[in-house]
Amino acid sequence: MKILTANRLADGAVVWLALGGRWSTEFEDAVRLDPEPAAAALAQAEAQPGRFVAPYLIEADAAGVERRERLRESIRADGPTAGHSLENV
Amino acid sequence: MYRYDEFDSRLVAERIEQFSDQVARRLDGRLTEDQFKPLRLMNGVYLQLHAYMLRVAIPYGELNAARLRALADIARRYDKGYGHFTTRTNIQFNWPALVDVPHILKDLARVEMHAIQTSGNCIRNVTTDALAGIAADEVEDPRPWCELIRQWSTFHPEFTFLPRKFKIAVIGAPKDRAAMRTHDIGLEIVRDDTGALGFRLFVGGGQGRLPHIASELKSFIPAEELFAWLTATLRVYNRHGRRDNIHKARIKILVASLGLDAFRAEVEEAFAALPKAPLAVPEAEVERIKAYFAPRPYAAAPPRFAAFDRALMTDPAFARWTRNNLRPHKQPGYAAVVISLKPVGGVPGDATAEQMDRVADLAERFSFDQVRVTYEQNLLLPHVAMDDLPELHAALGRAGLAEANAGLAADIISCPGLDYCSLANARSIPVAQALSERLSDPVFQDAVGEVRINISGCINACGHHHVGHIGILGVDKQGEEFYQITLGGSPDETASIGQIVGKGLPGEAVAPAIERVLKAYLARRDAGERFIDTLRRLGADPFKEAIYEAA
Amino acid sequence: MRLLEAGERFGADLPEIGLDELAGSNAIVALRAGGETEAAPILAARERIGRLVVAFSGFKDGRGFSLAAILREGGFQGELIATGDLIPDHAPMLARCGFDAAELPVGASVEDWRRALGSFSAAYQPAADHAATVWARRGAPLKAQVEALNAELRDAPASEIVQAALTRFPGRVAVLSSFGAEAAVGLHLVAEQDASVPVLFLDTDRHFIPTLDYRDQLTERLGLTDVRSLRPVEAETHDPKGDLWRSNPDACCDLRKVKPLASVRPDFDVLITGRKRIHGGTRLRLPPFELVEGQIRVNPLANWSTDEIEAYFDANTLPRHPLTQGGYRSIGCWPCTQPSSEDEDARAGRWKGLDKTECGIHMPSRWVAEEIARRAS
Repeated sequence: MKILTANRLADGAVVWLALGGRWSTEFEDAVRLDPEPAAAALAQAEAQPGRFVAPYLIEADAAGVERRERLRESIRADGPTAGHSLENV
Repeated sequence: MYRYDEFDSRLVAERIEQFSDQVARRLDGRLTEDQFKPLRLMNGVYLQLHAYMLRVAIPYGELNAARLRALADIARRYDKGYGHFTTRTNIQFNWPALVDVPHILKDLARVEMHAIQTSGNCIRNVTTDALAGIAADEVEDPRPWCELIRQWSTFHPEFTFLPRKFKIAVIGAPKDRAAMRTHDIGLEIVRDDTGALGFRLFVGGGQGRLPHIASELKSFIPAEELFAWLTATLRVYNRHGRRDNIHKARIKILVASLGLDAFRAEVEEAFAALPKAPLAVPEAEVERIKAYFAPRPYAAAPPRFAAFDRALMTDPAFARWTRNNLRPHKQPGYAAVVISLKPVGGVPGDATAEQMDRVADLAERFSFDQVRVTYEQNLLLPHVAMDDLPELHAALGRAGLAEANAGLAADIISCPGLDYCSLANARSIPVAQALSERLSDPVFQDAVGEVRINISGCINACGHHHVGHIGILGVDKQGEEFYQITLGGSPDETASIGQIVGKGLPGEAVAPAIERVLKAYLARRDAGERFIDTLRRLGADPFKEAIYEAA
Repeated sequence: MRLLEAGERFGADLPEIGLDELAGSNAIVALRAGGETEAAPILAARERIGRLVVAFSGFKDGRGFSLAAILREGGFQGELIATGDLIPDHAPMLARCGFDAAELPVGASVEDWRRALGSFSAAYQPAADHAATVWARRGAPLKAQVEALNAELRDAPASEIVQAALTRFPGRVAVLSSFGAEAAVGLHLVAEQDASVPVLFLDTDRHFIPTLDYRDQLTERLGLTDVRSLRPVEAETHDPKGDLWRSNPDACCDLRKVKPLASVRPDFDVLITGRKRIHGGTRLRLPPFELVEGQIRVNPLANWSTDEIEAYFDANTLPRHPLTQGGYRSIGCWPCTQPSSEDEDARAGRWKGLDKTECGIHMPSRWVAEEIARRAS
């Protein structure tokens, strides 16, 4: 299964493709896609360069992101693990 | 401090117009992301993990209160209330929206600042010695030359699409406090036998995947030929530097692959072909710029420092801070003060908006309205009268800025790492924090004395791990963070690249291992030896043993 | 630089050949070459190349810029045309590196290119376009600005002159005030518009006590928020007994006035002074704007008469310097200031008995040196 993610062009915020073609800033909303619809969704996002920067697919299952990308993706989802932004979010 | 005239102001304003137009073209689709990326980078805008990052230039590290307050204001209004000072003496904001960047640039322009060429494959912000104009060993103040190079390199039509980024440092003293030899071009101000001013020209330094210490290309170039030599060197690089492999595109690879002598021959040939008259350094301009860096109206030193001496005797915290955080000033009665941005357990180089405002106030009150950013990611008040030091120390303490660890083990250089950076393989900040807490005992730190510990979250080496006496490099192994330790690097005039000691350690093992290395040093040092001296005398083996001892 | 739409031809047609065919040709030809092409063979055949089309193979590949610059420096006089993977933002660089024209990629907006071409009105560094550098333009325009300001405002009211200085050089202006006999007028004029403009007072350590009191009184009365007292640097070293004024008044002025003022020179491009032609001596031809060693001096009161000054004091109920009661009409440091009589210049009481009329802060250092040499001979 795959998750589609990107940064929003105007403000850079991390977004995930959610149910019904909606894009969410919450990782919890991310929808798991089979390879074929995932590729189609990626192509669709890539065709909207005015909304998204660098869309890509993450390997994931129901439990979450696969191990190799887990740390990076968890930091993208939850913010820095250390530092001032923890006190300021 | 240099101040803009109408031309400087106008060019910055025109750049903001241009960038606003580029953002508009990107938003409406006339520019693709591929086309936009190099343009936004040349204005300091990166796309990081969570958001855009804006890197603001602090040319050769010089700030005044107004500029620092403007940075604080940007941190509050467009960001999350803090900024991160870098080894290139710039500041990074981690959360700006792309659509806000033109507004931020306008705010910066009001205090004569910009983000021009803080990234991209162009000539970057010129750096120098944080003690420029202060150090007694100085041949000449390098800052006017930095400003001149800033101007010369700004929007250079020939050198804006180089194979890769290009960094220049200028130092004015034989002692290198600016890691000059880690730069693509390094310049050291010298005088020849006749007393004429000129530069030693170094080329081919750089860190990253294939680190190199810069080699001396010319032992003396006359000052008036500076631009001609820079042009010749950059031209050879622009024509012949590799563009097919990003890891082999820096000038260091070209110098290494041609060999220094062959590279020198190319540069000399290019130099010979250049028209010299138009490229001659304009003397009137040098003099005009130098006037901005005239010595401040210092007061005469009193016969004895009453307030200073009293505080020294009665306040041990003050005494320790003066031992570690003061740097000598060539003006009797004054000292330069390092404001450590390395609190115990803190993020190296981070400062909150409130702290920036406080430092601005203190600069106005105690340091002729001047503040500097140092290579080590600290701030520096360059000219403080000795008898003002107790009051300054107290005020810094109230702002959480009186950490007395400048130059010591906990004065760690660190990149933002995977917590922010899209290029990183591993986190840097938590490792720095753990290390800083582990080494927080002031007695231990003072006993260890001068040591440079640097952490990078990936091989791009923004945390300068290659030239740390102890370097820590974050790597990714199948989704797990590991940290390789290097030993024996050095950023100064005895520059060297650290060697990897062995297999990487998990994050939690790093701080104890480093502590063991420092204890091994304490056990083995001869009298008067710094950590790096003992390491060089004994080699890495005893320290390597200490690292893996528990394993 | 001309902007050619995709497919548009540039100038007269020339037979186009590749670099490898160049050696066999004696005709004037057009050559097409990638940005990576070596410059030497092109320069060797430069007489026979009427046009060189430089193809940029990627918009991040800057080799074509250096190629053009090298060719122009090497005497290549043919047409230079850029083509290939170009974006509007290349336009100013192409023009500066010596290209005559750029062929826009298919679909590019000429409007975007035109706007990009005009992005910058100046350039710091010399390049193949031989445009005057910022470095060359500096200094010259300041002189021209001063001339223009004088032409525009020579007879303007003082308030307009002050306003011009404050609005045209925002943040770069300070007032130089002695807090002497007539200082209140100039300070009032400035404070009316902006009481936060820095006021520089040369605290020589030799002022009359009433002058210091008057400084504080005026500061409060006018609401001045940034009065800075500039003190001599290392006076103890250079004037250990404090009697330098007796043996060498020029050196004393230098120590206590000229040098402290020079120390803040970087902070201000413009200084507003209270000098007037009626002061006589070297001030008889004083214009409202002057250029003194790269710094603009503004003299809003240059053409004021004594009566006008008196009237201004009265109209605005400004306090008087206490010493004016005792016949002091121009007030400096106590050792070198005496009252002057009505039939003398107002400044006749300054350095009385000496062939000295100025302390030096209003003269280029060169003049000061000349003046000292003149008096010595």
